[in-house]
Amino acid sequence: MSSVFPVNDYGPLMPGLVMAGVAILHVFLAQFAVGGGFLLCYFQWLAMTGRNEYARRFVEGFFKILLMISFVMGALTGVGIWFTSIQISAATIGEMVFNFHWIWATEWTFFCLEIVAGYCFYRYHQRLSDRTSLTLLVLYTFAAWMSLFWINGILSWQLTPGDWVQSRELIDGFFNPSFWPSLFFRTVVCLTLASLVGCVVVNLIPDLDRDAQRSLINRAAHLMLPMLLMPALGAWFLWAMPADSRSWVLGGSPAMMMFFMISVGASVAIGGYALLGLWLQRLYINGATATLLLLLAFGATAGGEFVREGSRKPYSIRYVVYSSGIIPEEVGRLREIGSVTNDPYPVTNEPDCPNPTVLLGAKVFRRQCAVCHTMEGTNGVAHLTQTWDLSQMRLNIAKLQQTKPYMPPFSGTPQELDALVHYIRWVLDDRPSPFDYQRDDAVLAQIQIWLDEAGTEASSLALAGEEWSP
Amino acid sequence: MSVFPFAQPPTVSFYLIVYVLTLVLHAIFMTYVLAGSLYLAWAAVFRGSEETPRARSAVAKILREWMPFALSAAITAGVAPLLFVQIIYRQEFYTSNLLLGWRWLMVVPVLVVGFYLLYVVKSRLISNWPLPVRIALVTVISACFLFVAFCWTTNHLLGIQSARWPQVYESGQVVASLGALTIRLAMWVAGAFPCMSIFVAWQLRYYSDRDGRPASQVGGLRALSMVASVGILLTLACAGGYLATLTADTRSALLGSQGGPWMMAVALGSVVQLNGWWLMRKNGQLSTSSLSLVTGGCLLMLTGAGFLRELLRFVQVDASGVARNAKSAASVGGFWLFVLFTVVNVGLMAICVRLVRPALRTDAETSDQQTESPTV
Repeated sequence: MSSVFPVNDYGPLMPGLVMAGVAILHVFLAQFAVGGGFLLCYFQWLAMTGRNEYARRFVEGFFKILLMISFVMGALTGVGIWFTSIQISAATIGEMVFNFHWIWATEWTFFCLEIVAGYCFYRYHQRLSDRTSLTLLVLYTFAAWMSLFWINGILSWQLTPGDWVQSRELIDGFFNPSFWPSLFFRTVVCLTLASLVGCVVVNLIPDLDRDAQRSLINRAAHLMLPMLLMPALGAWFLWAMPADSRSWVLGGSPAMMMFFMISVGASVAIGGYALLGLWLQRLYINGATATLLLLLAFGATAGGEFVREGSRKPYSIRYVVYSSGIIPEEVGRLREIGSVTNDPYPVTNEPDCPNPTVLLGAKVFRRQCAVCHTMEGTNGVAHLTQTWDLSQMRLNIAKLQQTKPYMPPFSGTPQELDALVHYIRWVLDDRPSPFDYQRDDAVLAQIQIWLDEAGTEASSLALAGEEWSP
Repeated sequence: MSVFPFAQPPTVSFYLIVYVLTLVLHAIFMTYVLAGSLYLAWAAVFRGSEETPRARSAVAKILREWMPFALSAAITAGVAPLLFVQIIYRQEFYTSNLLLGWRWLMVVPVLVVGFYLLYVVKSRLISNWPLPVRIALVTVISACFLFVAFCWTTNHLLGIQSARWPQVYESGQVVASLGALTIRLAMWVAGAFPCMSIFVAWQLRYYSDRDGRPASQVGGLRALSMVASVGILLTLACAGGYLATLTADTRSALLGSQGGPWMMAVALGSVVQLNGWWLMRKNGQLSTSSLSLVTGGCLLMLTGAGFLRELLRFVQVDASGVARNAKSAASVGGFWLFVLFTVVNVGLMAICVRLVRPALRTDAETSDQQTESPTV
């Protein structure tokens, strides 16, 4: 039996949004840190070989930015992701840590190398030979990219666990179907972000004339060249996704498709500007425009991460944990014993519950819905169900995975389901007191029939043409 | 062997040892930052004489210069114990995280603020700022790190109080006993000073060697020996006080065959350190032999304290749950990959340090000959 954890209420803010905010910021900074290493190596080489007389000044200015942003914010938001993940879904992060703790520990050794190499360069490069400086930068870049390599394996496993499902072998989970397209795609994103930050930094270096700035910007833009591969890599990634997940992104879920299009649109805009403006016409780009492009890149990253997170629905780890934090193997049992029977934590966010049934419903909501939904705020269940009558609400929730294929199956008893329905109704009626509830055995029997008809498996798997039973 | 954790099943012992060793590594850097920030705050408020203000002492200069890196290292080194604590105490650690709620989520933003302020203190920007602002700055930095220490201590204590969890969830009152929390926190804060003192002493010694000055002319010995000795005595006093707050069963585990050897390690480490500092103070120099002795004592004390900390937790949580977690975790592959890359990356880190060795000899930024830093 999996653990029951307390669930925090973040008011109108959907818990998943808290996670997304931290995750997107961290991914953006971490990818910039990786790409920044490549950019610095390139510019150090330009400086050493005399190909660009201003490259040395760029290296110094850029590395300070990299250090101040990446070493501080990047490292701390990485820890922040762990902290936030625990707040949102302890079951999910617990499974990730459990199954890949040695991968994570291995990544940590590269993180240590990244910090040591980076700090050695930062502190002493002015007194080191060019070759030594380049060696340190190469080590820094290698370590940073290897960090990406390891983490990418864990993140892509969440969406496509591949053969790991049967073998439970680390190597199968790590080198899963979306590992390589995800790794290459992210590497291109890293290079692009570093290039754009480079364009901003060039504009911040004092006493550089326009020609010098242009020469540096045009060099920095070389790192955007791999963006030409993005369509192919993106298609490869889409192809590697499970069919159901792909269908959410390509139209099955309007929100997912919208974020996908934002990501694609922003990437096309950046790539187009780089191609036409920076490569073909060798234009100068001022600080404001560079910052705007960087913001577009942030939007693209945010959209891409939203799609990556959302496309896993109804799972947070495919086959392993549902987005609700409940594990698939337990659904059948929870339907017998109840999902909140062993939940010792009292309901604190609804102090005026008029009867025990509504109180039970509030508890069921907290256990099964609160990770992705609020009651009346973001993605509010009250708003989503306000046009349903009681009977329809019972049916739709009992067959939740069929109502919306990206939803997990309901994992509780008919009594719990009816209590949840009454809780939602009570909220929709503006929390009246008293609020009567009469137990109706015929209704409960009908709910049981619907639950049995829906089964305990996610219907998204059927959409994907997969057969999987826990 | 009944010494903790060796009497536990092999998988439990293994993960606990890995956890404690990585925690000690983290603590070395963490104590530097925590005690360093408090030292700077103290030096800013109690300024010393006009001729030799504390804030312009060699110790303060080194702390200002190296604390940003030490914090970076502390965070980096902290990732590993954070990983292993999730493996061993999954239920307890996650639940206490969740019960701390927004306070726990504040740890990262507070660390970000503390981190950037360390860079402000390090920079020369602040030399023209009014004294009260500079004092406020170092006080805020100390407050940031004390808040993080408070959160970790509370997290640890919540994890071992499973019977209180529903009540804590309902009331939001995360602290069961302010006295026990305070004395435990005070113990760890006081314990940070001896570690920081040794770290700084080695740095002072290194710079004096590099500048060709004899060990007897290294500044800061008096201050460091005082800080370290008082820190050790306070730590021991707080530890005694904390023992008194524990239940008889818990106390007997700590003092019995499981924890007794670690208690002795802490005591021995403390005596060795006190003796080493006394010797250095008496001889008026940071000698290599005494510094090595003190360092050994400190590591012994830290390791002993680390295992005692875990024993204290272990006897109060569901041991069968820990055993289950460790056994299943041991069935997951990847350990040899970790060993391989640890060796490779430690080697590469050594290469990095070797590469910058020529530059270390001219590291003017921390030299005593550097331009005077502002008095904070």
